[in-house]
Amino acid sequence: MKFTENGDIIQIEDLVFEYGRAEAEDGYDPHRGAAGGAIFPNAVDHVTLCVARGSFTAVIGRNGSGKSTLAKNLNALLLPTGGRVIVDGFDTLDEAALWDIRQRVGMVFQNPDNQLVSAVVEDDVAFGPENLGVAPDEIRTRIRDSLAAVDMYEHRKMAPHLLSGGQKQRVAIAGVIAMHPEIIIFDEPTAMLDPEGRAEVMGIIGRLRKEKITVVLITHFMEETLDSDRVVIMDRGRVAMDGTPAEIFSRTEEIEALGLKLPFAVELCARLRERGLDVPGDLLTEDELSAYLLTLYRKDGFPA
Amino acid sequence: MSIRVEHLTHIYNKGLAYETKAVDDVGFTVEDGEFIGIIGHTGSGKSTLIQHLNGILKPESGRIFVGDVEITAKNIKMNQIRKRVGLVFQYPEYQLFEATVRSDVAFGPGNLGLPEDEIEDRVREALRLVGLDFSTYADRSPFELSGGQKRRVAIAGVIAMRPEVLILDEPTAGLDPKAHGDILRMVRSVRDRTSGIVILVSHNMSDVAEMADRVFVMDRGRLVRAAAPAEVFAEADFLRSIGLDVPPATRMANTLMGEGFAPDRTILTLGEMADFLAGRLGGRA
Repeated sequence: MKFTENGDIIQIEDLVFEYGRAEAEDGYDPHRGAAGGAIFPNAVDHVTLCVARGSFTAVIGRNGSGKSTLAKNLNALLLPTGGRVIVDGFDTLDEAALWDIRQRVGMVFQNPDNQLVSAVVEDDVAFGPENLGVAPDEIRTRIRDSLAAVDMYEHRKMAPHLLSGGQKQRVAIAGVIAMHPEIIIFDEPTAMLDPEGRAEVMGIIGRLRKEKITVVLITHFMEETLDSDRVVIMDRGRVAMDGTPAEIFSRTEEIEALGLKLPFAVELCARLRERGLDVPGDLLTEDELSAYLLTLYRKDGFPA
Repeated sequence: MSIRVEHLTHIYNKGLAYETKAVDDVGFTVEDGEFIGIIGHTGSGKSTLIQHLNGILKPESGRIFVGDVEITAKNIKMNQIRKRVGLVFQYPEYQLFEATVRSDVAFGPGNLGLPEDEIEDRVREALRLVGLDFSTYADRSPFELSGGQKRRVAIAGVIAMRPEVLILDEPTAGLDPKAHGDILRMVRSVRDRTSGIVILVSHNMSDVAEMADRVFVMDRGRLVRAAAPAEVFAEADFLRSIGLDVPPATRMANTLMGEGFAPDRTILTLGEMADFLAGRLGGRA
């Protein structure tokens, strides 16, 4: 059954997820074991969160903070131990809704080698739509459009293992796009890529956003969050901070206490302020800081 | 102890249609105590190259000397190489398998046939070097630790072999910023305390710029640059043309340079950029 829709495509209500012993490796924090009374504390611990349709949300937090567990609860790869997750009106606990949910929520993971299944790029992209029972003509259209969307159409006949890391990751993204999802969740998609591959993937995320696809990006690279509408920081299974990039990264000490760090330009501005310089507080990116410095320079010049 | 590589070539799938020269006539020398950073796009041959340095892969042609030992010689024993050259793979924590941290770190030295007390000494030393307190961690299961801690245990297992050359293949991939910083500090302190050669393969231009004495740049199997960071990262356009980049501080300096407001030397780190800007804008030193 489908719930009435509002502006939020994802509604997470008091979500709890607890791993069993066998699954505990990633989420288990030995320092908390005794305190919570349970041997394995909740990997996701009473999280309530809504994600607006068409928005770009970045999720950051230290290893084991519950980011990936939360993400896997959004497409019913994992099901809530407590609370519920509603995706585009479908409750993930409703078994009948599984395929509606999986079709709506695509996931891209860290290692592209683990996501590609076919010997030819276009077959790989066809894999998802075929499983959805999409008609062959329609599949051909989807292959063409989704490979074009990630600039890989000319490589459609190639074997994935001959591609670079960034190209493989783009094929994996094309495979997800071909399912025509409403939401794409990226779980550290650039962790294994070289600088060019990272830039390519971030470029695609920017384009998806223009297409009004809802994007959730889990990352350890603070710079990748700067174009988002909203940054959510997870810590020990809970939401520790939630706000725009500007709000989040103005809270320097909290960021560091959460095992994170400031983006390059924000950190540089902070160092300049420590030295008594009056630098505006709203500069987040290298480009913004450079532009500010050049404005100063053109206006007054500096002593050589 | 030094490393000398001469005309090293490695071919994957030789004789097949998709034969690839993963390493193509590469030669270099690394001096005792040097810290080398290796950068290159995915598939540029970095991992293939370093797997030759500890004998996991055998070259199609070329020779490698570690100290005065030719490790590419036909009659070489693997143990002779492994004692000298330690290689930490990508995501090494996936290779942890023992029930306790102590026994995992002891596995390598155990294979060298050392006496028990010597093994114990080495485990203690290795855990200290990676910043894990022996009494707290030795008898814990490695699987109970955080991602960054597991990785340090795996690195300790290599360090316990007391290699004269320590090679790390993307040791910070997938770690959060704090664990990332911890691993880099650990690598630096291992290097300072053991004074051996360290080779760091990384996609993080800032880390390489900050830590390496020299940077090796790989492109399609070839070693295309081997020079000090300031020299390598002065070539931003070249690096971008082969899928790489410069550190953010250098990129920003280059942007400012276009307008005449820029330092007269290559800026590599955030600290250097802060010094330069504070100087020009009249801030405190």
